[in-house]
Amino acid sequence: MNPVIELVVVLGGTIGLSVPFGMYLARMISYEMRPLEAPLARVENGFYKIVGIDKNKQMTWKEYAFSLFITNIIIGVFIFLVFLLQGYIPSPSHVNGLSIDLAFNTAVSFITNTNLQHFAGDQTLTVTTQIIAITFAMFIAPASGIAAAFAFIRSFIRKNFGLGNFYVDFIRIILTLLLPVAFVSALLLMFLGSPQTLSPSVTINHTLEGHNQTFTTGPVASLESIKELGSNGGGYFGSNSGHPFENPNGPSNIYEMFLMLIIPVSFPIAYAKLVGKARGISLLLAILIGFGILLAISFSQTSGPTGLETRFGSFGSEFFNTVSIATNTGAANSALSGMSVNPVISFFLAMFVQSIPGADGTGILYMLIYVVLTLFIVGLMVGKTPEFMNMKISPIDIKLAAFIFLIHPAIIFIPAVIAFASGNAQSILAVPAGKMTTVSGFTQALYEYTSAAANNGSDYLGTSANNPFWNWSTGIVMFLGRYPPIILALAIAGSFTLKDRKEAIEPIKTHGPLFIAVLLVMTFLLTALTFFPVIVIGPFSM
Amino acid sequence: MLSPAIKVVVIMLVVTGIVYPLVLVAIGQIGFPYQSNGSLITINGKLIGSKLIAQDFKSNMFFHPRPSSDSASTLDPDITPYSALLQISNVSRATGINQNALQTLIELNIERNRISNMVAFAPDYVNVLQINSELVSQYPDIYNTFLKSINPHETTANISGVDGG
Repeated sequence: MNPVIELVVVLGGTIGLSVPFGMYLARMISYEMRPLEAPLARVENGFYKIVGIDKNKQMTWKEYAFSLFITNIIIGVFIFLVFLLQGYIPSPSHVNGLSIDLAFNTAVSFITNTNLQHFAGDQTLTVTTQIIAITFAMFIAPASGIAAAFAFIRSFIRKNFGLGNFYVDFIRIILTLLLPVAFVSALLLMFLGSPQTLSPSVTINHTLEGHNQTFTTGPVASLESIKELGSNGGGYFGSNSGHPFENPNGPSNIYEMFLMLIIPVSFPIAYAKLVGKARGISLLLAILIGFGILLAISFSQTSGPTGLETRFGSFGSEFFNTVSIATNTGAANSALSGMSVNPVISFFLAMFVQSIPGADGTGILYMLIYVVLTLFIVGLMVGKTPEFMNMKISPIDIKLAAFIFLIHPAIIFIPAVIAFASGNAQSILAVPAGKMTTVSGFTQALYEYTSAAANNGSDYLGTSANNPFWNWSTGIVMFLGRYPPIILALAIAGSFTLKDRKEAIEPIKTHGPLFIAVLLVMTFLLTALTFFPVIVIGPFSM
Repeated sequence: MLSPAIKVVVIMLVVTGIVYPLVLVAIGQIGFPYQSNGSLITINGKLIGSKLIAQDFKSNMFFHPRPSSDSASTLDPDITPYSALLQISNVSRATGINQNALQTLIELNIERNRISNMVAFAPDYVNVLQINSELVSQYPDIYNTFLKSINPHETTANISGVDGG
């Protein structure tokens, strides 16, 4: 193993390929010619006809938000019913349906791109459920996030460019971005050792020592590729990317990291193409510097070997988990309890910020919200009205942006306090009556809500949190962590798209080294000020 | 207002939740049958396990995996070179196989994993089922009770699947 080569291959490969990917995203956002435009457009037109939409009809921000929300809700209800009734649905394997609270939690978890799992997929779900509910949701959740980012970025381009049409974006994102990349990646993962079969299990009647052995198989590769590409993170197996069928060796570990990073890192490139090279590159550098800091914190302490897989070792596990959590994918290739304190601090920071680089679509969305907040704060310092892309930022925009920022701590702290005040945290952490919760116990419960709020999905508790309190509470947190920020961001986009643009020198430049430094300091400062107390009594004290 | 939403859900369910995984199952079964079915190892035509899934070994004549509770997956098929080297004296004592021969076998196993991990992408490790299968195949006389229990009529061991093919 060579850490330098691993870093160079993953980061170099991602940054290198983010250029063509980003250019492609930019063409999707601005409806320019893509490679293979004619056949792609013909297929898409067929879909528009079946769905019954006019592709040229632009939506207002309210229409866009409503279409996104209602589509997600319909899918949520559908997969909820599949989880609840899976015992009655034909499948190569038979497993009874989930309880109502677990079905609710899981449905919300998968439509919100979180993939928090209070169950072990290999034991709790049938093969049919793994494809028609889980794999399906793994396409629609990132497609919704990416669509929201498309609409948001369109509002910057020029006045009355329009926000687009949600259904057009949704169909194009799935058919011409997620599906082809996931398909090719599934083939590669199969080649590397991931199974792809409809048989639910293999039974060995006679091992070398004459024992019986049964293990779960299934359509793993097709789920694995979209799991990583779509910043989903929910494993086919309970042990997620630590399971040898999900992540068989070093090359699969490297490739899965690339898959998680590619779309979030390509967005700043698309942004560069559409609103100015300097601005986009500055945003990319800010994200990469932030990400570099997270990696450095993780690598500052080795982890394991308990809780880690031998084929990844300390470096391969810390690298994978930092990539996974920083992209809000949440697919750990080790037990989180096997991670040392410094990597865990890095994971918390990543989930507090949510945008270095963050999930598909929502990562860039949060980053641009930080840009707006930074311009406002710096504007106050120098006594100038904040402007962005030659538009005046109005008080209502700032209020909405601040609200988006504040939702996150609110839906972490409030439920965490309720969990401890009601004794529900203590009961699953097995705190003896009359005793104080340990620091690591507090950290685990805090992590659960942080992960749910950030739509991340990694967790310590896993199946032990499968009880009504934790299922309902984290389900509500995941929902509030997803839709209110997206809808408010679309409201800001609705306001921006109607604003007059004046070609003037920006009072505060939104590119260059000074801007990068200010943006990074502001982002970390806002986060630190908000979350410092809980980090101190949690992971810092471990 | 609901009609396009319902229709887009149904059509995407068909495309991503049914066609996509099933086409890949078909390609996997035809193009990569070994990997798609779980990287299974056979000796003399009988399945003995998967290269990727640890199995319990109790006999001192074999190398042992990690305690299952120690790994993330509880199925970790590999052990560190250090852990394999520590087990040499036990295996040698139980089988009579020369310690140097066992060490060479370990080194070859490490080398093979190094190649499949393109050297840089994973630490060195030993695959337990792989090395135990190789022991059986190289020393059929020593392991003949295990061979006989797999197939009473065989005195040699033909392995397939160990190398990934």
